[in-house]
Amino acid sequence: MNSAQIEIQLIASLVAIACAIPGTFLVLRKMAMISDAISHSILPGIVIGFFITQDLNSPLLILFAAFTGIITVILVEYIQKTGLVKEDTAIGLVFPALFSIGVILIAKNANDVHLDVDAVLLGELAFAPFDRLLISGVDVGPKALWIIGVILLITVTLLIAFFKELKVSTFDAGLAASLGFSPAIIHYGLMSVASVTTVGAFDAVGAILVVALMIAPAAAAYLLTTDLKKMLGLAITFGVMSAISGYWFAHWLDASIAGSITTMLGLLFLMVYLFAPSKGVIAVMYREKQQRIEVSLLTFLLHLKNHNELEERHVNHLREHINWQKVRAKTVLELALKNNMIVVDKNIVSLTEKGDTFTSKAIDYIITNEDTQIEDMKDDFFLFRG
Amino acid sequence: MSKIAVKVDDLTVAYNYKPVLWDIDLEIPEGVLMAIVGPNGAGKSTLIKSILGILKPIAGSVTIYGKPYNKQRQLVAYVPQKGSVDWDFPTTALDVVMMGTYGSLGWIKRPRQKEKKAALEALEKVGMLAFKGRQISQLSGGQQQRIFLARALVQNASIYFMDEPFQGVDATTEIAIINILKELRKAGKTVIVVHHDLQTVPEYFDWVTFLNVKKIATGPVKDIFNDDNLTKTYGINFKVSVQE
Repeated sequence: MNSAQIEIQLIASLVAIACAIPGTFLVLRKMAMISDAISHSILPGIVIGFFITQDLNSPLLILFAAFTGIITVILVEYIQKTGLVKEDTAIGLVFPALFSIGVILIAKNANDVHLDVDAVLLGELAFAPFDRLLISGVDVGPKALWIIGVILLITVTLLIAFFKELKVSTFDAGLAASLGFSPAIIHYGLMSVASVTTVGAFDAVGAILVVALMIAPAAAAYLLTTDLKKMLGLAITFGVMSAISGYWFAHWLDASIAGSITTMLGLLFLMVYLFAPSKGVIAVMYREKQQRIEVSLLTFLLHLKNHNELEERHVNHLREHINWQKVRAKTVLELALKNNMIVVDKNIVSLTEKGDTFTSKAIDYIITNEDTQIEDMKDDFFLFRG
Repeated sequence: MSKIAVKVDDLTVAYNYKPVLWDIDLEIPEGVLMAIVGPNGAGKSTLIKSILGILKPIAGSVTIYGKPYNKQRQLVAYVPQKGSVDWDFPTTALDVVMMGTYGSLGWIKRPRQKEKKAALEALEKVGMLAFKGRQISQLSGGQQQRIFLARALVQNASIYFMDEPFQGVDATTEIAIINILKELRKAGKTVIVVHHDLQTVPEYFDWVTFLNVKKIATGPVKDIFNDDNLTKTYGINFKVSVQE
């Protein structure tokens, strides 16, 4: 690896971390789309800021852009509050309007401005190392690295200072308000951080990837944990993993870095979506299948417990009696046998002692819903978990 | 007569210029266990939210022990309606109860061992200690309500507001909750509950407010919980047997 490669990966990783932090809260607040809106509508802010400062790297540009980000949020909320349109519609109305103002401003002044729509949408990470920050003539690294580094430092400081406030206002805005933590202040604080982060990341990765970096890692982390701190940690890890693997994927394909990182984010989310241990698609399907079988088993055992007559307990009779198809009846019968819950003698099925106690306990649990007595059964049966 | 815990003067609250509470005057004495009853849309939750400053009234004022709410926050705990939070939020039962301590901590300061200990004690009081590590969506409706109650207990307030705490809970939980509320009253706290089941009002509460956009009546259950006020509030003829 040469130093430019290291610098690109470092920038991409810092951007990923800076995005994952506000992204986690946006996902939890069900506001993922607002990041899309912000990332587009900061364009006019950048353009106007550029007209005023004539410098693409001026910190004023970031302030202008963050300001338009906040305006987006305020406009969306204002339109939504009228009660005439829903939130997603309001978002869909506001950001294209602001974005198009930016596009027109660029087009009108395209001749003498080094700012084009492609770069805005997709960013160009590969060129980031060429733009150096010089402090009294000494090269201290790429400008993009410094910009995102400072933004990340601010974000992390705010996160640590206001973690508790963010948590309570996201979980229960009513409680937050009654405790004296104004949800509005926290809301706009978070939106400001999201806007500033978007602007900082914008230059490096463009408007579309910013959204992916905010939402995909948090959405994947959400499927893996039930702890907010772990969710933040996982989101950051996923973001960095995608940033670095995306860089090498682009290197290998000789393609756009931003595009490759987004692809990696998509793949990563897909993997988690499918294979997450408890919320993943496969785990859910497996659990539902197990539950169906177990309910069948319980129905079957209960039938045996309720009927002493021999004809009710004959293997063939059971099938028509409980009205199951052959395969299902066979699975259930085998499962009961394997767990030593029944014995079959001359095609007559009887409950064993274990089967009998199990059935009583299970029925008892279903009726009373008391957790304590079935603790020992929980390991074997899905039915009694959570 | 004892001190006035909550005083509401000429309170009017509107959504989109349509009043949902109209010129409410209300005095809640210290140490009562009070039900707010009234039909759907009568403004019961709105009244609580306005007292707590979550909603801004278009007229009128509210004082808690003679001072505005934002000066008296520490004295007040609030249990919102169950639907008002995100149950899929990645947090545990213990964590939710700990949030009750955030108010006394203020901005930036973080909860420590002392707050954790208080939260564990509150969980024990509501019989939920065994579930402290559970993600909140994996609790039953009654268990979730107990967690909310524990969160209010941990605030160690003087006045408790509860918005339909018995909604969707079974009889066992309902009795457990009302017993805790009665204990709070015994300890001299004021408890205000939005309540729907008229049959249980005389059994659970000693004070009642009838509300239907306007205040119909307020006072001791034994004096004012009668067919006349029920009819005025609900608009149809009512017969509720008041237990002696």
